[in-house]
Amino acid sequence: MFLVSALLVGILFAVSTYLILQGSFVRILFGFILIANAANLVLLSMTGDPRGRAAPVVLDETVPMADPLPQALILTAIVIGFAVAAYFVFLLYRIFLDWKTDDALALFAKKKPTDL
Amino acid sequence: MQATFPLIVPFLTAIFGVLVIRSSARRRMIFTASAGAQLAYAVWMLTNVSANGPTVMFLGGWSAPFGIAIVVDHIAAIMVVLTALTALACILFGFLEVSVRNEHPLRLPLVQFLVLGINLSVMTGDLFNLFVAFEVMLLSSYALLTLEADDWDVRQAFPYLAINLFASALLVAVCGFAYGLFGTLNFAQIAQRAQEMGGDPLLVAFGMFAMIVFGIKAGLFPLYYWLPNAYPIMPIALAALFGGMLTKVGIYVLLRLFGTLLPHDMDYLYTTLAWLSAGTMFFGVLGAASRTYIRGILSFHILSQVGFMMLAISLMTPYAFAAAILYMGHNIIVKSSLFLVGGATMVLNRTDRLDRTGNLWERTPVLGVTFLLLALSLSGIPPLSGFWGKYMIVVAGFTAGEYVLVAIAIITGLLTLFSMLKIWLGAFWQKNEATPVRTDDRAWVPMTGIIAVMTVISLVIGLFPEYFIQLCMTAAHELLDKESYIQLVLGTAP
Repeated sequence: MFLVSALLVGILFAVSTYLILQGSFVRILFGFILIANAANLVLLSMTGDPRGRAAPVVLDETVPMADPLPQALILTAIVIGFAVAAYFVFLLYRIFLDWKTDDALALFAKKKPTDL
Repeated sequence: MQATFPLIVPFLTAIFGVLVIRSSARRRMIFTASAGAQLAYAVWMLTNVSANGPTVMFLGGWSAPFGIAIVVDHIAAIMVVLTALTALACILFGFLEVSVRNEHPLRLPLVQFLVLGINLSVMTGDLFNLFVAFEVMLLSSYALLTLEADDWDVRQAFPYLAINLFASALLVAVCGFAYGLFGTLNFAQIAQRAQEMGGDPLLVAFGMFAMIVFGIKAGLFPLYYWLPNAYPIMPIALAALFGGMLTKVGIYVLLRLFGTLLPHDMDYLYTTLAWLSAGTMFFGVLGAASRTYIRGILSFHILSQVGFMMLAISLMTPYAFAAAILYMGHNIIVKSSLFLVGGATMVLNRTDRLDRTGNLWERTPVLGVTFLLLALSLSGIPPLSGFWGKYMIVVAGFTAGEYVLVAIAIITGLLTLFSMLKIWLGAFWQKNEATPVRTDDRAWVPMTGIIAVMTVISLVIGLFPEYFIQLCMTAAHELLDKESYIQLVLGTAP
């Protein structure tokens, strides 16, 4: 179980890093959304193997309970990640409106007229 | 209960400012009063801590390790005082920079959210809560960065956001690893269990990972390039707050991480941090020397001085920690004031490009004197405040036998002086016929007043350093003393 989630986290981090390093805004955005989820998965996999464990809401004392804390943490992380992603979408949209481009490299190709 | 005032007051002020207040003038009044009260409270908190020792409080009344601990010890109190001081100075300066009518209604509330994030970061005793505090701080910083940016400058927010989003994702992963390794996120319990694990290679991996995350936030070489381009795009009052405080929160976390959380035998980590810090200070100051406008020079300087603090941290003695804290306190005050001098220059010369500024020494000698004191203090000329921090770092370096690193630090100090001279020559000394000095814009007078007050504070630190060094030594001993921290938070002997 640990091996599977470790592999999955690895693949997600690799894919999201690849996407972030692309030029297009949409791919970069997807990359950041994905990397946040990869990090959340790291947190979740610290619950341990859930098989044979009851969900934290089941009040059965004969069955051991799954660790609820990572799930609570992850919930917070998801909400924060969502807020940041929303901000990021707006920033990219504003840059797109100002610069009429969706290529991150094109942004820094020109010098501001008043720059030195 | 009282420990949460530095969290509740900025939060309520910000919410009140967004939802209730409609008039900018009234908002200014209320926010000034709030910032002043926060500073007064912070100073009271610091005196209280030095008199009665550190206190701890649990959110919601759940005792540790289940509840989130809010720990007010010396370093936290020092950081809260510095935050409140810088925030007050920057808020007041912002009033002079922008007229009431042109002020963005969200600027002041966002500054208060930023203060909330910083205060929570330095007071929390829980790793995940630290992540939340960082996010509060960063989200307000993203918003402030782009709030008043023009069409050209808004592009600089993109690398800033990208690197910080990446670091935040890694920080979530660090929380995950900490929970997996230690089975807890409470600082005290992490410290306890890390000590029991002593020598486990997983600890080094965890420490390295955490160091990279907080190193990005602090501007560690080679991950610093997002900073010196992003800060200059802000209005100067905000750039002063960012330049003074934000990277220092990363430094604080590194102090806490190496001092309290991890065992003190991770030499491999310390060596890595020492050489990265040498890179940070050297390349930071080279970058500063290459820039030709005041905000750009100062932004690169932030990195160079962050390098100094990290060098001190990597030496891992109480004396070196005290040096790092003293240098950090000096740097927050002086760096913010220097940014504010840049702001006054922009009012007087209508620009801060050094080829178009000039004549300021002739027309506004008071501003010139404050700049000179601040710049010499930054370069570490005795007996100004920067000297003591640098002196202690150099002594700590020699004691540890790190001669090469100390040599790099001293060369960096000289280069700092060189780039400060560049501002001095360009803005103050240079006689530039084409440059008008707009002393008719009376805003520069109160601006110089604010800068002068900050300069006096820095002078007091420089001329009467005993008290401040004592305070920093206490804070350093406290940071390095795991047993007392564990005892304080968990209530049991380890």
